[in-house]
Amino acid sequence: MSERAFTWLVRLYPAAFRRKYEQDTLQLYRDRMRDERGLVRRVRLYRDLMVDAVLGAPQAWRNSYAEASADTLAGDVSGLPGFHLLDQEPLRAGAVAIGFVFSISALVGFGLVMRLPAPVCAARAGATLSPIEAVMDRLNRAIAAPRNDAGERAAVDGGSAQAQLTTNDAARADKSAERPLSASEKGQVVQGVAENLTAHYFDRQKALATMERLRELEKQGEYAGIVDGRMLAERLTADVRNATGDPHVSVAYSRNAIPNAGPARPTASALIQYRTVMLKQNCSLEKMEILPGNVGYLKFNSFPDMEVCGASFHKALAQVGGANAVIFDLRDNTGGFPETVAEVAAPLFDRTVAWYNPKQTQSATTLTPAAGSNLKMLKRATVIGETTGGGGHVGVFHRVDEHFGIGVPETKIINPYGGPDWDGVGVEPDVKVKAVDALNEAEKRVVKPVGR
Amino acid sequence: MPKRKFDPLPTAAFQILLSLADEELHGYAIMRQVEQQTNGRMRLGPGTLYSSIQGLLEEGLIEEVDRKAEPETERRRYYRLTSSGRKLARTEAERLADLLRVARAKNILRGDYV
Repeated sequence: MSERAFTWLVRLYPAAFRRKYEQDTLQLYRDRMRDERGLVRRVRLYRDLMVDAVLGAPQAWRNSYAEASADTLAGDVSGLPGFHLLDQEPLRAGAVAIGFVFSISALVGFGLVMRLPAPVCAARAGATLSPIEAVMDRLNRAIAAPRNDAGERAAVDGGSAQAQLTTNDAARADKSAERPLSASEKGQVVQGVAENLTAHYFDRQKALATMERLRELEKQGEYAGIVDGRMLAERLTADVRNATGDPHVSVAYSRNAIPNAGPARPTASALIQYRTVMLKQNCSLEKMEILPGNVGYLKFNSFPDMEVCGASFHKALAQVGGANAVIFDLRDNTGGFPETVAEVAAPLFDRTVAWYNPKQTQSATTLTPAAGSNLKMLKRATVIGETTGGGGHVGVFHRVDEHFGIGVPETKIINPYGGPDWDGVGVEPDVKVKAVDALNEAEKRVVKPVGR
Repeated sequence: MPKRKFDPLPTAAFQILLSLADEELHGYAIMRQVEQQTNGRMRLGPGTLYSSIQGLLEEGLIEEVDRKAEPETERRRYYRLTSSGRKLARTEAERLADLLRVARAKNILRGDYV
């Protein structure tokens, strides 16, 4: 056995042992190699070394390799406790194995708790969904986690309130969802989509033309190859959008049966929850102060329901009422109720602004442009900042059949001064600066004329 | 009292304690001494020898001898028995003597043994 092979054998031993005794063991090996010559003795030596390497290892691993000084100090006096230096004891192999098993099981447990298939949902959430698509998405997800539905129901955010499911509905996942669509079913869906459009779409001419177009496509067998509900919905969405030129129409598919009850009213518990959340957040009124030069500053992050927040908003508006100028900070505003927009804008017009039939509450992202646009057009306010998001038309969800629904813009917001409305375009600010610099710019502009 | 590592005392450890009874020795000398006192039956390999030595050191049964006089290059560690090591070796020898007495009383042993 070469010296190299012997060094490999010594690797069976703990590192602490090797640190202390590697030289000694090598020395012993060399001494024995030197002294034990001749075939018989050599063979015996090799066998000795092999057996010894295995038999000596358990003892070597049992040793602690702590410095022995403390032991010798106390060991001689019987009856007195000996002191061991625990921190210098090596980590035992068993402890490492147990730690490994524990961390693996903790990881697995964490994965189970978090329901790891989630990456699919995360990817989908990243894409931009129209409000209607978002609602349908939620319905589809209800199969996986019917309990989440209760939480979703509590969130009253405009349009989505109209298509809420109870847990029972979600549990009543229809088995028919799994089988492919038949030709007659597809025909009914196409027919239903067309009828809903003509019944609800704000531009009746376009709706009729779209109906014709859909029937034509169906006759040409364009939908013959589609067997999957989701694909059919996507195809119909594309066709309807092409025909109307309106990107806010969307056809959606739900694996769960869509309740037939029509647009649901927000439940009492949802309203209570909304009220609690709003009051806790001070009706999203983030900041109210009078800046130097008697400039009022009001920052609010939504246009909440006036039934809940009317008092708070009127109080805030009254407080800035005596100012020479008012800055409305809407940069973080997510939108809300059209009535609230009118109320907030009212003091700037000396009257409540008339609205073109805003009969439905609107989904988020639409109203901040509305507020900006109204004020800008009437030259009652200076809009400072970046171009707004540009949500204008208001989509309402309609049930087509058990599994299909359609979001139809029913209300077109009319710009009373002619020209385009702000749908899909957004509102250009009067003074274009970055959103972060907008407040500084506003302060400069209002303080200067007053100081003059 | 915590459980001692050398209860029962392994043969190798006992032999090492015995080999150090008369004089201080280094590793290889211990190995040769043990071989001699067992009539060549026990030849300690490096693994058993040094892991036993480490165990005995940790229990305070033997200790390292400082030999600064030797040149650094061929320096070997020397070991000697501590008093508790000697005591333990005596206890073990007495235990074996008891065993021997019993074996003799039962006529297991032939006459040529002490």
